[in-house]
Amino acid sequence: MSADVSGVSREVLVRPIQSRSKGYLLALAASLGAIGVWVFFYTQQLEHGMIVTNLADWGSGGGVPWGLYIGAFIWWVGIAHGGIILSAAVRLIGLDTYQPVARMAELLTIAALTCAGLFILIHVGRPDRLVTSVLPAWPTRVQWSPLMWDVTVITAYFVLTATYLMLTIRYDIHRLRDQLPDVLEPVYQALLIGYTEKEDAVVERMVWWVAFAIIIMAPLLLHGGVIPWLFALLPSMAGWSGGVQGPSFLSIALTSAVSGIIIIAAAFRWAYDWEELIPDVVFRGLANWLGFFSLLFLWLQLQQVVTGIFAAPTTLQHATEVKLSTPVYWVAIGLVGVTLAYVFASALKPSLFSIPAMVVASFAVLVGTLVEKTLFVVEGLQHAHFQLYDGVPGTYVPSAVELSAVLGTAGIAVLFFLVVSKVIPVVELHAIEADHEEVDH
Amino acid sequence: MTDDGPVSFDDDEEARMERALAEAGYDTELGMEMAKDAQRVAAGELSEAAFFDRYHEDVLDDFGRDARELPELRDDVDGEVVADADDPDGIRESLAAIADDEGVSRREVMKKGGAAAMALSVFAGGGGAAATGEDDESYDGTRYGMVINLNNCDGCLACVKACEQEHGTSRGANWMYVFTYEDENQDGENFLVRPCQHCTDSPCTKVCPIGARHTREQDGLVLTDYDICIGCRYCEVSCPYGVNYFQWGEPDVPDAEIDDDHQIDERGRWVGSRPPKGVMGKCTFCVDRQDGQMGEEKIGTTSCEDACAMDAIHFGDLNDEESAPNQHLEAYKQAHQNDHSDWENRTDDIVSTFKLMEERGTNPNVQYIGNEPSEHARQVEGPVAYEDMGLVDDRKQEVLDNGAMATDGGEEA
Repeated sequence: MSADVSGVSREVLVRPIQSRSKGYLLALAASLGAIGVWVFFYTQQLEHGMIVTNLADWGSGGGVPWGLYIGAFIWWVGIAHGGIILSAAVRLIGLDTYQPVARMAELLTIAALTCAGLFILIHVGRPDRLVTSVLPAWPTRVQWSPLMWDVTVITAYFVLTATYLMLTIRYDIHRLRDQLPDVLEPVYQALLIGYTEKEDAVVERMVWWVAFAIIIMAPLLLHGGVIPWLFALLPSMAGWSGGVQGPSFLSIALTSAVSGIIIIAAAFRWAYDWEELIPDVVFRGLANWLGFFSLLFLWLQLQQVVTGIFAAPTTLQHATEVKLSTPVYWVAIGLVGVTLAYVFASALKPSLFSIPAMVVASFAVLVGTLVEKTLFVVEGLQHAHFQLYDGVPGTYVPSAVELSAVLGTAGIAVLFFLVVSKVIPVVELHAIEADHEEVDH
Repeated sequence: MTDDGPVSFDDDEEARMERALAEAGYDTELGMEMAKDAQRVAAGELSEAAFFDRYHEDVLDDFGRDARELPELRDDVDGEVVADADDPDGIRESLAAIADDEGVSRREVMKKGGAAAMALSVFAGGGGAAATGEDDESYDGTRYGMVINLNNCDGCLACVKACEQEHGTSRGANWMYVFTYEDENQDGENFLVRPCQHCTDSPCTKVCPIGARHTREQDGLVLTDYDICIGCRYCEVSCPYGVNYFQWGEPDVPDAEIDDDHQIDERGRWVGSRPPKGVMGKCTFCVDRQDGQMGEEKIGTTSCEDACAMDAIHFGDLNDEESAPNQHLEAYKQAHQNDHSDWENRTDDIVSTFKLMEERGTNPNVQYIGNEPSEHARQVEGPVAYEDMGLVDDRKQEVLDNGAMATDGGEEA
């Protein structure tokens, strides 16, 4: 099953750059509005401190010091994953079917990592010190603090992805220069500094190695590594520690990442009539991947639930029982479960498949994973091994300030795509000109 | 725990030392041999020259330095003075100097020095370090901690209030906290007094991304550098005891009302009193008092200890046999001797002691006398209510209401 889109013309490829529409302006306004709402609330937080969130001290304070901000941070890093893994897989193991969405996936990685980084900034009490405190401490603290590992790996991942993107963009811009708007000439000149066609072969090899590094680093070190280790390594919270967190986090990352790609790809296809550029087969393939990853996600949840209630230590048993009795947990599981059922059903009976339904399912997965991850953070803190604190009950419902940050970062991701799609082609030239060596010869 | 000459290696001490060496990541076997031989030197059974001849290369390997840079370790097998017995701190100072040169924590180098530091300080100091117990080879003799006698506590919350007053903590930030609880196998009301445990192996210092939460080398106090803390709260989630209190909003007590003496410790770091907005705080074991900034007479005391009319809290240097905590524990044991008349193999005393959640591997420096709460323990309303003492946080709601920050909507989590 492979998509042959090599017949598509370059005009189709650059359609987003050249077109103007009310829909675009509407989307632009909506994203700016979402960002505006968040900025309004965030200034309150800067002014009054973190007290405007519903976070509080655990223990005798009965609250949770980590909440939606950390849940959303994990979520965005998860979304960031798939993008580049998918793109790297296209390059490394020849998953050519997904070539048309590879660059969107890369861009999603950049946008999602930016949002994740923003959540670190929003989460800390003294964002002004992020540079002044973190940089000097790096050499001595990176060997100790999982949070420092985290910052390090995410930064490295960002640099790798941006490098990857930059290297591949030059090729396209050079060849599509005639169809790109003159008003952006300075941008293109900057992007093409020093470019000659001789570099293509070298870049090809460089990109292969970068992709190789990414595909190893992303699953093993990022969402299967430093992000779950933030929790799994701490013996203080019953629901956090343990080796299952790595695989569990990774399954969440992959489900939400594929969901993100499906939504973005469907949006572009719908907005620019790209049926021939991003054919059905791409979405069917992505849907199968989403189904498979959802299955992994649910299976790993089952592992945690069964080991948590059968004959677990009292604190873990208590934490698991509370989780199971929390309605919103079943909402999260249900959303992913329904998606899984739909994907499998449409695999058995292809007529059930539709792209709009897949988009709805993808949103369901994104909501489900965000809820599950936030719940993981919050309930972990509410059920510490130190059980005497259970006498100081407390509930946590994210405040408007916190919720607005999710809205704001989603707005940033959308804005990012709106802007970038006006500057560079969001589908690689390689997708329509399969053997690029022949293109200019 | 004293400096009175060479110490015999009974099984217990040997086991503890082995553990300490293993934790320091050093060749345990070699370290043990060095320590034993060092004591033989101190006892006059082995010459200094022979000692250094035997271990010189290993020591240098361990420090990774040329001999000339470490005068105390200088190659001098001709029998001249190689370590100044009158200056037991010489080796520690040299290690510290290395640390400064390398720009790394002194404590790290001390730890890295591992067995050699231990063995040599036994030698130079006449046996001091070998007897100091578990992990404190990196401290310069002082290890502050508490012995809290829960049998004496009556749950009056005077310690909680005194702490709040002395450090200007905001409402609800109860650096000291007292649980009243009922338990399956204990009758009536029981109490658990919970300051920061100032753990030797503190998870909070380990996870801090920038080293703001740190252990002060000279006395083991676990402190937060308010000048660099970024407020990520990772220390708080890593702590099994729940002793951290973040400064969520503006502190109740403004900066202008707190003297520098309370805030800046003897190293010049801002670690004392309540934290500023956006920064983490917790019990400091009254670092300002320990540095003599509250007067000589307050060194070795804490505000909670002073406030306790029931003689439950005893603060001091756990490495000093004469300190308040050690004296109290000893006296309490003496007063509760076991009856050996029928069974002579019984333990000496009937005093139950424990360290809180020791199985978490934190190596806490607070020891309790009394019964440890079981997993069935349940917190109940105490004889004095936190609300009545003004120790419950109600600021959040005020700020949220007054700040018109709507909290409606959102997922239940």
